[in-house]
Amino acid sequence: MITKKELPPGDFGIWVIIYVEFVTFAALFVGYAFARRADVALFNESQLLLDQRFGFINTLVLITSSWFVVKAVQAIKKNDSKLSSAWLFRAMGVGSIFIVIKVMELSEKFEQGINLSTNTFFMFYLMLTIFHFLHVVLGLIILFNIYKKTKIGGYSDVDHRGMETGASYWHLVDLLWIVLFPLVYIMR
Amino acid sequence: MKIYIILVILTLFAFISGWFGLINSTIIAVLLVTTFIKGGLVAEYFMGLKEVQFKYRIIPIVWLVFVLSLVGVAYYT
Repeated sequence: MITKKELPPGDFGIWVIIYVEFVTFAALFVGYAFARRADVALFNESQLLLDQRFGFINTLVLITSSWFVVKAVQAIKKNDSKLSSAWLFRAMGVGSIFIVIKVMELSEKFEQGINLSTNTFFMFYLMLTIFHFLHVVLGLIILFNIYKKTKIGGYSDVDHRGMETGASYWHLVDLLWIVLFPLVYIMR
Repeated sequence: MKIYIILVILTLFAFISGWFGLINSTIIAVLLVTTFIKGGLVAEYFMGLKEVQFKYRIIPIVWLVFVLSLVGVAYYT
């Protein structure tokens, strides 16, 4: 029989943060869905102004980056710091594409004169995507710090809790976007 | 690699549904289910909760069910 681990990977503090994020984003996602219910025509019409390709590429970007972080954790569990830091570098590189695409997308919207007070759809769109964007930025900062420590051999097969902590946060960022993408960009 | 490919395929399905204007009430139901599957895979395999005690493993699953069910209610009622 396989014995299950007592606690989730990484410091338990990050899981408390993850649970708080779950509650916050649940309120935003459900709020969006019910606000749409009150004015379906407005939401459908406004949603047509979004470029679904941006959302699609960014989903692929986060999934890929998240997967690279999985590979980095697997590598450090085999005590291979060099390989682990290489995967983390790739994860940051791919994750950075999210920032570029999001800045392009948001700039386009701001140039069109769209802002938080345009209508309820765009209030939710901007609030959700900018709030999530800030999580991506924080996630990349965390990954960079883990990368630096891995590069100097700061983690090993027996001590990699810090890496797992950062990895858990990065996967959360991915998980939140997985719900956000179909909800805001696709479903109408 | 297998999990990653499933995630990519399900994402592609969502994009194609939207891009080609295939969205209807059936597709919305499918999208909610595939989003649940994607979220579950990330929690189980990427976050590593598959190897953790049930009480922690179930939290993201309950969250996904709660959020996606309420979204479903908002779309279908």
